[in-house]
Amino acid sequence: MNNLKVKFKPYILLAPALFIILGIFMTGIIIGFAQSLGYFPVIGLRELTLKYYKEILTDKEFLTSLKFSLYISLVSSVIAVITGVALAYLMLHNKHKKGVEQVLYKLPIVVPHIVAALLMYNILSQSGLLPRLLYNLGVINSQQEFPALIFDKRGIGVIAAYLWKEIPFIAMVVYTVLANINDRLTQVALNLGASKGQIFWHVLLPLAMPSIISSFIIIFAFSFGAYEVPYLLGPTSPKALAVQAYVEYSHPDLANRPYAMAVNSILTIISFILIWIYEKSFRILGGNSEEIR
Amino acid sequence: MRKTRSLINNLILYSAVFLLLFPIVILILWSFTKSWPWPFLLPKELSLRGFQSIIRSGNNMGNVVLCSICLSMTVTILTLALSIPAAKALGLYNFKGKRAVKMLILAPLIVPTVSVSMGIHLAFMKIGLANTFLGVVLVHLLPCLPYGVRILTDVFEITGDKMEIQAKVLGARPLQVFLHITLPMIMPGILSAGSLIFIVSFSQYFLTFLIGGGRVITLPMVMFPYIQSGDRIMASSYSLVFLAASLLLLIVLEKTVKSYYKTENHFYI
Repeated sequence: MNNLKVKFKPYILLAPALFIILGIFMTGIIIGFAQSLGYFPVIGLRELTLKYYKEILTDKEFLTSLKFSLYISLVSSVIAVITGVALAYLMLHNKHKKGVEQVLYKLPIVVPHIVAALLMYNILSQSGLLPRLLYNLGVINSQQEFPALIFDKRGIGVIAAYLWKEIPFIAMVVYTVLANINDRLTQVALNLGASKGQIFWHVLLPLAMPSIISSFIIIFAFSFGAYEVPYLLGPTSPKALAVQAYVEYSHPDLANRPYAMAVNSILTIISFILIWIYEKSFRILGGNSEEIR
Repeated sequence: MRKTRSLINNLILYSAVFLLLFPIVILILWSFTKSWPWPFLLPKELSLRGFQSIIRSGNNMGNVVLCSICLSMTVTILTLALSIPAAKALGLYNFKGKRAVKMLILAPLIVPTVSVSMGIHLAFMKIGLANTFLGVVLVHLLPCLPYGVRILTDVFEITGDKMEIQAKVLGARPLQVFLHITLPMIMPGILSAGSLIFIVSFSQYFLTFLIGGGRVITLPMVMFPYIQSGDRIMASSYSLVFLAASLLLLIVLEKTVKSYYKTENHFYI
């Protein structure tokens, strides 16, 4: 009896949280998926079909949206990870890091994405501070000479807003890992004649790799599925996927709903693939790093 | 050689911090600006117009701030109540399906909540949760739960259950064990998880907008149109109010942690 109680205890403890996750999160995904397959009883659609996916996957507008979203997330996440890791490494050797640490910790957490969008708008738009600075330095002669970085098709403004939020995030995560790596490992490497660069590439980086990959996936997935920043700073066309999905969703004709849900389902499927990679990267890379630390 | 190198390192580091802080300074300048025409580098005239019109506007600022704090507090308390037992299970026990459960709880961090909320919207309408405070609270749990469970799981892994077992052996009832042993031990974790959860909920725009349907009005809901229309003075003033409110809360929480435990508040993410 007691044994049975022990066996079930973790499941009982998990039940409330799982109830919310399954009841809202999974239900939301399943309802959306059902509607994307054409099961939408409210307006009398009951037959399962792949026609919405077929139409969407051959639709040029959707494909450019998909490409745009992938491009934004990939560029911003790759730059954020490289810069963030470099900053974390520099912080490791900085003596007055307390202040730096505090700023890097708090600021990006407290500032929400919509405010980050405003920050970039204040700096990068054609009436923003950067073109003013360039004008006063004589680099440009008029407002119009400054390239449109906001609402532009290359999504520079969107990427800048993500970088502002994500670089400190990566720097802090990686810094925490690097600072906790046992000093003896570095000393052993130094004793054996390794240079600083070799220590970074062959000791520190491999140990921090699982955290780097997992935080890369978190920021990639976030920017891939986010609505606010591309809505505020992105071009009218192509739209980011989440923006595109909401445009379809808010269409007054309910018969349009399945298209929105097909876009959402594709977003979700790509995210599940990312979760799978996340899990795999931990299994392969994270296997023995815990012991070494 | 070594000196120049560390000089360059510091230069890079501090310019990064500068790039991070500079936009905030510009935001503060804009919120106190009356007029700042092209191509001036500093505002021509300063005023409190932005803040005055926030106070005078029909939005009833006091209520909006109060509603936002009340909403995010409710979300924080509920998330913690769900996360503590779940984190205990994940941190202290080994059981079948542990990996799957862990991934399931972390999933809302990776699967876009925008998509999920569009899926659940109709169901919420049917059962009367759409356009209500409760509905918004429930949907805010999704982005918050992963943080709560993840931070507290780490905490339980570190503290272990030896102390609880001791108390039980000495004859404490489960409630006594929880109140006098478990809770004080995980308190620093609860406070840092709590501040992060609060911020995550406080910052939500889309979820509140969709599920709240314009009935539940939070600070980001009021701010958004100004940012969208590029009204720099108003948007910056609102943003400053938002940042001040969240910073104040973080500082209060951190002070509480420090005074209780003399340890540091860490956001483990």
